Amino acid sequence: MLYQLALRNIWRNRRRTLLTLSAMIVSSALLILALGIFSGMLRDMLATATEQYYGHLVISAKGYQDDRDMFSNFPMNKSIETVLAQDEIIGTSQRLRSFGLLSHQQNSSPTEVLGVLPLQEQTVTSLQDSLIDGNYLTDNDPKGAVLGSGLAQRLKVVTGDQLVFVTQAADGSIGNDLLQVKGIFSTGDVGHDNGLILVPLAWLQQVLVLPGQIHEIAVKTDQPLNAAALAEQYRVNLPDALEILDWGEMLPEMREVVASYDVSRMIIVIILYIATGLGILNTFFMAVMERTRELGVLMALGMRPGQVRTMILLETVIMGSLGLLCGAVVGIALSLYMALVGVDLSGTLTPITYAGGTILPRLHAVIEPGNILIPSVCLLIVSLLAGFLPANRAANMQPVAAIREE
Amino acid sequence: MRITIYFKTLLLSSLILFGSVVSTLAIDLPELIRTVEQQYTGQSSISEVEMTVVTGHWERHLKMESWSLGRERFLVRILAPVKEKGVATLKVENEVWNFLPKVDRVIRIPPSMMGGAWMGSHITNDDLVKANHIDQDYDFTLLEETNESWRIEGIPKPDAPVIWGKIIYQIRKKQLVPSRIDYFDEEGIQVRQILFDDVQTVSGRTIPLKMTVLPLEDPNEKTVMHYRKLQFDVDLREDFFSLGNLKGRR
Repeated sequence: MLYQLALRNIWRNRRRTLLTLSAMIVSSALLILALGIFSGMLRDMLATATEQYYGHLVISAKGYQDDRDMFSNFPMNKSIETVLAQDEIIGTSQRLRSFGLLSHQQNSSPTEVLGVLPLQEQTVTSLQDSLIDGNYLTDNDPKGAVLGSGLAQRLKVVTGDQLVFVTQAADGSIGNDLLQVKGIFSTGDVGHDNGLILVPLAWLQQVLVLPGQIHEIAVKTDQPLNAAALAEQYRVNLPDALEILDWGEMLPEMREVVASYDVSRMIIVIILYIATGLGILNTFFMAVMERTRELGVLMALGMRPGQVRTMILLETVIMGSLGLLCGAVVGIALSLYMALVGVDLSGTLTPITYAGGTILPRLHAVIEPGNILIPSVCLLIVSLLAGFLPANRAANMQPVAAIREE
Repeated sequence: MRITIYFKTLLLSSLILFGSVVSTLAIDLPELIRTVEQQYTGQSSISEVEMTVVTGHWERHLKMESWSLGRERFLVRILAPVKEKGVATLKVENEVWNFLPKVDRVIRIPPSMMGGAWMGSHITNDDLVKANHIDQDYDFTLLEETNESWRIEGIPKPDAPVIWGKIIYQIRKKQLVPSRIDYFDEEGIQVRQILFDDVQTVSGRTIPLKMTVLPLEDPNEKTVMHYRKLQFDVDLREDFFSLGNLKGRR
């Protein structure tokens, strides 16, 4: 009975209802879209930080990630393989790392060299997708190398050129050997573009005189935001000398960025909904004022103040639900468009590297349940709050005074 | 009477004056440091050196031959072990090149790598380049003088491009050779010590043939250089110190 009354009241003044509804729909739809784009940026950053270099998890000798000491190496073995045989692990990559001098003719530059198994490495990082020249490493080039674009520029090399790498080997001797440029990558991350070169693992093991040894195993999972929990879970089964770190521990700045994202998301939601809430409050107040006589008649006919309040709150809840339903549909549709098509801004903006991740110059949304749930729930709460004041006012009216009011 | 007193005071004061003049004139500190820093090179030299490098992870012995001319030219080539035979370093003025026979390439050491270890020892490329300018880049004061030695402190000149915050030389007076040099960083923490022993007379010069470099941050590490053959004032010309010669073409 109350429900029917509320419904009829809503549809009686269509123009007012549609205006209020459109405010709700537009605000929630835009909010869903904005949060989706925000999440997209965050995903890009996280992906560039982890999928270009670190991986989501890294297993290494205790302390290795702090000092990158050449002697903190270990051999791959069965027990580690068993730990990593999990459904959620998409890829693992064994790596050996060295720092030394890379040179071509008169030019030389200090460099980080990462010895990898080409097929394994591609399951963890996506440098193969950032090649601007040549090809990725294959198992057939024992002396192949893929290096960053800035480094290639500084050394003045192109695909096919020869490079010399010199460093101090693990036995104290001067390790040195030739490489041939197979490909050049450009990720947008200045640090890696200017100072990273990928070489075959066996080549680096021979130069460093570290046969069979590796420095770390990078791991990619299908749950990047859950990496810390996974690390915790695998840790117990690893040998004592080894540790496992998630990306949050290797890139603490990145973890801060994720945390600050949650805060800024709440701030945006609050600001937008204060504005929307005031709009809703306004229309409902007007609706109640307009219907003062009518409500007085209802109360004179025997309707209780509590029922009046419930009726008006019902009106707001119905409109809120309708608004959020349409808003969510429109918002998801917009987000889907941005997720599938997106907007390319690379003409006007350059990539920004921050906290180890790179913000790519594009508007690209991802659809996360939280980004739809939060605006929806907040819209319901806001419309209830906005309905509460007018509902209270209506409930507290004196029937006689209300009927007489002009 | 009065005159004799005057005379005596005059004599006394002139003696004091003379004495102090003598002690300041006796050592021209930058000149002394220059002598110390150039003790192994002189005007020109040829030498054979054995170098032992000890770290927590490995120990290795190298045999090298080296040539030098003045302060600015220096060439050294590894003779043993076999694996590294022919690896050579050439320094001309502020540039350092390495030659790697295995890949048959010459590599110029860029400025950013000058702090790196030279031939895997505790001597840096910077040491090769900048040691020769220490007498120009630092101001020296005499800290202490005993019958046997001087202790001299070097503080970098305001705008000098130096790596150490302070250097203290301990120099044997009689032979004019160093016994110890202590290196401090900019915070005044001692980071390196070089000890000199086995003082002998070679080609009319008295020099310590053994030099031990101790990086103090790790007490287990050291580099010992022992000069086996040393010859000064030999016939070497500037064009000997070429990239061609670095590669071992004679």
